[in-house]
Amino acid sequence: MNDATPLRGKPGQPMVGRRAPLIDGIEKVSGRAKYTADLEHTDALVGRIYRSPYSHARILNVDVSKARQLPGVIAVITGEACDKPYGILPIAQNEYPLARDRVRYRGEPVAAVAAVDIATAEAALRLIHMEVEELPAYYDVDSSRAPGAVNLHDDRPGNLEREVHHEFGDVAAGFAAADLVREETFECAEVTHMHMEPHAALAEYDVERDRITLHSVTQVPFYVHLRIARCLDLDESKVRVIKPFIGGGFGARTETLNFEIIACLLARAAGGKVRMKLSREETFLTHRGRPHTRVKLKIGMTKQGKLTACQCEATQTGGAYGGYGIVTILYAGALLNAIYDIPAVQYDGFRVYANRPTCGAMRGHGTVDVRHAFECLLDTMATEAGLDPFQVRRANLLKAPVRTINDMEVTSYGLPECIDWVEEASGWRQRKGKLPPGKGLGFACSHYVSGAAKPVHWTGEPHAVVNLKLDFDGGITILTGAADIGQGSSTILAQVVGEVLGVDFDRLTVIANDSRITPKDNGSYSSRVTFMVGNAALEAAQNLKAILVSAAARKLAVPTEEVECLGETYRIAGQQGSDISFKEVVTEALVDTGTLTVKGTFTVPKQFQGGKFHGAAVGPSMAYSYAACVVEVTVDEVTARVNVDKVWVAHDCGFALNPLSVEGQVQGAVWMGLGQALSEETRFHEGLPLAANMLDYRVPTIVESPPIEVKIVESIDPNGPFGAKEASEGALSSVIPAVANAVYDAIKVRLLETPLTPERIMDALVKEERAKKRAPAAGGR
Amino acid sequence: MSKSMLRLNLNGQNGEYAVADNMLLIDFLREVAHLTGTKMGCDGGECGACTVLIDGRPQLSCLTLAASCAGRHVETVEGCAQGGRLSRLQRAFNEKLGSQCGYCTPGMIMAAEGLLRTNPHPTDSETQEALGGNICRCTGYVKIIESVRAAASGEPL
Amino acid sequence: MEYLPDFKVVRPATVQQAVAAYAAHADARYIAGGTDLMVNVRRGIVAPQTLIDIGGVAEITAIDAQQNGGVRIGAGVTLNELAAHGLIAKEYPAIAEAARQVAAPTHRQVATVGGNLCLDTRCLYYNQSEWWRVSNNYCLKNKGEVCHVAPSGSRCFAAFSGDLAPALMVFDAEVEISGPNGVRSLPLSEMYNDDGAAHLKLEKGEMLTAVIIKSGDGWRSGYAKARVRGSIDFPLAGVAIALKRQGDRLSDIRVAFTGTNSYPVMLRKTEGLLQGPFDVDALTALLPKQITPMPSTFYPPGYRRKVAANLTRALARRLFEES
Repeated sequence: MNDATPLRGKPGQPMVGRRAPLIDGIEKVSGRAKYTADLEHTDALVGRIYRSPYSHARILNVDVSKARQLPGVIAVITGEACDKPYGILPIAQNEYPLARDRVRYRGEPVAAVAAVDIATAEAALRLIHMEVEELPAYYDVDSSRAPGAVNLHDDRPGNLEREVHHEFGDVAAGFAAADLVREETFECAEVTHMHMEPHAALAEYDVERDRITLHSVTQVPFYVHLRIARCLDLDESKVRVIKPFIGGGFGARTETLNFEIIACLLARAAGGKVRMKLSREETFLTHRGRPHTRVKLKIGMTKQGKLTACQCEATQTGGAYGGYGIVTILYAGALLNAIYDIPAVQYDGFRVYANRPTCGAMRGHGTVDVRHAFECLLDTMATEAGLDPFQVRRANLLKAPVRTINDMEVTSYGLPECIDWVEEASGWRQRKGKLPPGKGLGFACSHYVSGAAKPVHWTGEPHAVVNLKLDFDGGITILTGAADIGQGSSTILAQVVGEVLGVDFDRLTVIANDSRITPKDNGSYSSRVTFMVGNAALEAAQNLKAILVSAAARKLAVPTEEVECLGETYRIAGQQGSDISFKEVVTEALVDTGTLTVKGTFTVPKQFQGGKFHGAAVGPSMAYSYAACVVEVTVDEVTARVNVDKVWVAHDCGFALNPLSVEGQVQGAVWMGLGQALSEETRFHEGLPLAANMLDYRVPTIVESPPIEVKIVESIDPNGPFGAKEASEGALSSVIPAVANAVYDAIKVRLLETPLTPERIMDALVKEERAKKRAPAAGGR
Repeated sequence: MSKSMLRLNLNGQNGEYAVADNMLLIDFLREVAHLTGTKMGCDGGECGACTVLIDGRPQLSCLTLAASCAGRHVETVEGCAQGGRLSRLQRAFNEKLGSQCGYCTPGMIMAAEGLLRTNPHPTDSETQEALGGNICRCTGYVKIIESVRAAASGEPL
Repeated sequence: MEYLPDFKVVRPATVQQAVAAYAAHADARYIAGGTDLMVNVRRGIVAPQTLIDIGGVAEITAIDAQQNGGVRIGAGVTLNELAAHGLIAKEYPAIAEAARQVAAPTHRQVATVGGNLCLDTRCLYYNQSEWWRVSNNYCLKNKGEVCHVAPSGSRCFAAFSGDLAPALMVFDAEVEISGPNGVRSLPLSEMYNDDGAAHLKLEKGEMLTAVIIKSGDGWRSGYAKARVRGSIDFPLAGVAIALKRQGDRLSDIRVAFTGTNSYPVMLRKTEGLLQGPFDVDALTALLPKQITPMPSTFYPPGYRRKVAANLTRALARRLFEES
């Protein structure tokens, strides 16, 4: 059977819920898709960045005089080119595109060159020298927080970017009511996105008009637009940002990144066009990944497995600058809630500066490491209490709709079905505890937001706007500012519009995005596009449909209520032979008005935007996705390598607008979790990255990657477009603890550090062996 | 700078180009022949995004000097479609969602194409082995394996 | 366009031409598949002015059975060809297994036997970009004064990471080398120095042309490699074993390692293992003094030491049982 059927607006054949290939898939498989580095650049200069060799230093002088004199060098800029700090959060902008006064990590951009060719640009970089006064550098939270440490930022004493202290419910009473209280500290290594496409930008400055056009790899063109205008001191109307095809993002590109601003500054300095292609190493240095996180977690539970209280302290090594840090540390606490019914939760979060590349948002932003700790400790406690891990989760389910103790609204909740399915599909009941030596089964659950309810830049505008254009040719163009970065958002929007209008898929074109053409969108982050932009597209399509129905009514000379729409055919309800074609309806609709442009918007109602407490803006969402996961592993006794044999995952995405795409997103999320669980981590040598390449930053290859069986659970969210919620982040954070729980099942040793590399497993096994030798079991045979 | 004339067959067409000795095949393809389907994903030999066929075998164009392809047949993702019609493998990658962001896809398709030419009905583990040098960050590989399986099967695409 | 230093490429058709071309050009390097050298050129680690591309030298691309039962493997044979060769797969499983586990198939398509044997040593502080190495004041192996792996030591501790060498060494491989002073041969195990910065005992202008292995008759062999992923990765430790069994004893055993030291190590003092019933612990007891990983890789030496012993134990057991 054909897996992916072409979409046709036949009556009774819904366009949503269909396994549709991506609307831009043909471009991708044919090689025609143009990514930023593929764009025409014959007249572009080569842009290159000079990066700090120092971890932490006061800049005394940056000597670019020799570089400037090199023939073929058109422009050289330093921190003097821009005195406007930037940063994703309006309240934490403390970064300059090129360092001024101080450098805070090795690899920080200090100067940039535009030259006629690569060889000249490279030669120019070698002529740049910086004089500095070195400062003590801190690569971990303990040294950075130590008394007497030099502050990375003068306004942040103790190198503390943000601390959070939240308590909901009576935590002391909760622990007092518990039969079992356990505490454990987990260390989760820093990981990074490693999207396949290295960073790239193409900036063109129009000297006569004082305008800049930037093609870049961004997930959020609108933020880039704002930051470019600010850093170049240009009126926002003089900036144009275009997003070509994007080779993945996973959160890395939700912030405006230094090279995007540098490319624009260089283009202006050179008075022309600059192409900037970052190497893989530079892409790693640009980072914004998931920070190293220490999670100290305490859980209270009754004999029956009912949770009574939870106390969590999370400390994140945030890197050199603010970035998304405040949001990350808040998410980590907020998302302790809204998955289980916990009457009391205390959270203490510490976001700490260190002399490393800046961390930021990465798939499952904020929640992943805390969820890992939680699901691991729950597993340990279940074992200790003699309870089944499924039973423990089932004892703590929420009942939607419900408002959590920290003011988050859960309106749909498919977790119970997710849990049931993975239990059944994995054969948990029959197989758990009966596997051969070295093999294990592990289980865990997770959840995520479907769009942050409060936008980062609050302007009073709707949270999403979609425009539709219908012209004489009968083609419908969907104009959106939401960036398709490979996740398939353009396809989803087209399916939503096609469903409402009942037209052939081939009639639809999506343009995403060009700030001159497409409406502003808050961007592709926090899994907001399907939910928010999907809802805006739904409204836009309904508005267009109303116009078409009116036109059909005029043409058919009946009241609108009597018009029946059968895909691309309109007729008088129930009356055969009265058919008029879509084309005729369009012609009628355009009489006197010409080209139709309609709009749909979406705004998250106040009720879903969270509570009143400090930090309440992060965590609230209009809908939450849920996931459960069972992983089967084999731990090789020779190499101590963990092999994942199979993953069963169930994900509640509300409604699968495109089940093929949902499966793809869930499999991708699960697999990314496997990488974090088993092999991915950054490490540094005095601030120099040891894994800024794809050999040492080990994302799994196809050889050892397991089959991932996906069950789509549809809880039909009351507010999502056709009931849909997010599908690409929620499952990730269940995978890492499920792997850890499976490894525990296999070797009966609990590792408190991730990733579970062969080295760590080997250490644990050796320690265990030694401990056994020291204390031989009493009795015995 | 040392240059020489390079004669090769590129996607079925014979051609002659002046190329510098130190030009990589990937740069020749992208900058000289303007075939930007072939992608650079790493700093050399680590990701497989640049995989092309040379005399029918998958090779990394980022570690191959263009001049070393003299007299050879080089095929890129752009050469797969015939008369604008996608190849079976391309169609399968599209319809089975073997491609998400699409950046690894050209290399992945060329590596799979090389496999299917020598082994038209690979087992899943043979597919995994053959694509072992091609990293994908989006799919978790599940649908890539399904795509190759579908292309190799007799099922209509 | 990627940045590459300017260089000239010469394409000889014979070994003789290749050697002559080397002599005729200042600062030349031989290049075959390029999977190792081109990466280092791209990273600015080496910048030869001339590359002698021996990819067109036909006389070094054959695998020939020898009259005395051995096999002559041309240095230009690719790893895919080697792994797929019927005689190698049948009589020398260690070699086929090692070849099959090098990097990924797209590398093995062009990577050669000679290239894998002459693979540059690898180190966390060496296989980095120019910016990285400058920022770290370079290292003993490349422009610097200190080995960051062992700052108090006096030599470079980069690790040899070719998979093929140990598998060939357990078949008593000899290498054939051509150079300005003619042709010579020596045991493969004697081609290496215990120095990460100068691990090859090749004279200037010399190139490896062939490896000759002895008959595999009567030997049971295998190769085992520790790596984190199922493909691409260099060995954290690799071991090749060839053994002959007689009842409950070994009548002969050869064991060689890669990924652990600055050269591929042929395990010494294995004679003792032939006395009495085979004792695998006696075998692994030989390792600590000879197999000495240093912190030159992303994973620490403790793991590599331990896994080398585990791999050795498991492989020796398997081969003994299968004999």
